[in-house]
Amino acid sequence: MSKTKFSKQSIAASLLLLLCAAFSSFAQNTATLSISGEVTTPLELKSADLASFKQVSHKVKDRDGKEHEFSGVALIEILEKAGVTTGAKLRGENLAKYLLISASDGYEVLYSLAEIDPDFTDQVILLATTKDGQPLANGEGPFRIITPNDKKPARWIREVRSIKVAFAK
Amino acid sequence: MKNFLKTVLTNRPGWLKVSLVCAVFISCGLIQSFRAKNAEPYVLQYPANFGSRFVIPEGNPITKEGIYLGRLLFYEKALSANNNISCESCHQQKLAFTDGKAFSTGTDGSLTARNSMSLANLLWVRNFFWDGRSPGLEDQAKFPLTDPHEMGQPLSESARKLNNTTLYPPLFAKAFCSSVITEDQILKALSQFERTLISAGSNYDRYLAGNYQPTAQQFRGMQLFESGPDPKSGIRGANCGHCHGGVKTFKELFHNNGLDSVATDIGREQFTGQSTDRARFRVPTLRNIMLTAPYMHDGRFSTIEQVLDHYNAHIQQSPTLSAFLQDISNDPGGKNLALTKDEKADLTAFLGMLTDSLFTTNPAFSNPHPVLNP
Repeated sequence: MSKTKFSKQSIAASLLLLLCAAFSSFAQNTATLSISGEVTTPLELKSADLASFKQVSHKVKDRDGKEHEFSGVALIEILEKAGVTTGAKLRGENLAKYLLISASDGYEVLYSLAEIDPDFTDQVILLATTKDGQPLANGEGPFRIITPNDKKPARWIREVRSIKVAFAK
Repeated sequence: MKNFLKTVLTNRPGWLKVSLVCAVFISCGLIQSFRAKNAEPYVLQYPANFGSRFVIPEGNPITKEGIYLGRLLFYEKALSANNNISCESCHQQKLAFTDGKAFSTGTDGSLTARNSMSLANLLWVRNFFWDGRSPGLEDQAKFPLTDPHEMGQPLSESARKLNNTTLYPPLFAKAFCSSVITEDQILKALSQFERTLISAGSNYDRYLAGNYQPTAQQFRGMQLFESGPDPKSGIRGANCGHCHGGVKTFKELFHNNGLDSVATDIGREQFTGQSTDRARFRVPTLRNIMLTAPYMHDGRFSTIEQVLDHYNAHIQQSPTLSAFLQDISNDPGGKNLALTKDEKADLTAFLGMLTDSLFTTNPAFSNPHPVLNP
């Protein structure tokens, strides 16, 4: 008797789960950026969510050889919002943490946490949302990383879709 | 004690059943770990320059018994609803595990939606299928086995059919320690076999190892393949390496390569739900590319020359067209690659260096069943 009841419950639960899975895969028409992994607060950000952060900009030469003004938010601020071990907490084993940043085309680049932290470097790595005052175009935006001190822009990853913080194992 | 046993046996049959079931589960678990240790581990062989960025699932270590079983299953027609096709039907070894057709014919005679992909070097692939919808081989195998346009048989039915053979139960018992063949074990064995399909014996590999001297034409083709055009510096290039660079000749990328201005197949968008992914498809390996015609996700090009012509002069604009295929030219200010006829021939010569006849004739990958009508 109780056995039947249990399996009915589990069927209902699985159906609900399936429904959630189906819904979430179709409900992502606005591009979002997810911050996950070794964080206290996983984030799902849309472009509009970045307006509440302090805006920063960099004038840098892009791959086309021309200078452009990229604006957005300091990457470190996003990490702090997600509760990543930055600043005073970036010591000991936390120095073995890295960011795996993935683009929607599958491209991936890696930064160590210390490369981004202002206690370690003066370089402000930018999560850019605009270029010369315009939102980043298809194929480049809505989010792109700008790392001014990288001579080669291969880590200026376009179409950023996720940032995963992890321990090197 | 006698009284206690009597009580358990007579008055508490439910309690006894539970303990018996527990005992069976525990001993099965013990046997499983014991057998798994006894199955002979297999060490994958591949050149160091391929790197080791791959994951073998913890629950499916590669063993000699598992690989052999997977190989038998790969060539097993009983896994299709009408017992008429196997994995091999669309993935023939001599064609680097493709089938030479734009679309493949399924068990019921209907056609697949996309072109059959080569199975070389799947060990390093992280997102399977043209749209990357599957994150691992064990998961991937479910699709062709059950899709009505492919083998069209529920996994439960496949397991039932195999359980009723004399051939398979002892082989599964050896590989996975189980008296009953399960759906998962079928997927695991197939994956083990597929992980061994490593193509690293081409002239290109020999060249990289310092054991092959390319012809002048092959060498020119290689230079073009690897270089991006830079007319200001007088560097001519085809920029293939941007997506197909590195020793594996693919990067884990999804791009709209400008086949259509309005796509009939929306590609990766179907899986991600993101309109920015429209008509994006997997960047496939170019290993054995001269054997794997026709080309593209829909097999629209029957020759490599047509493929080169496409990239050279017929890229179609659309909102999701890859940025790496736009405004790139060997002519200053040019709108397309503008490679010459000779340069395209050079590229073709280089692509020929990627043919690996050791791979396409390796007896370890061939049909292990006795063939009645060769």
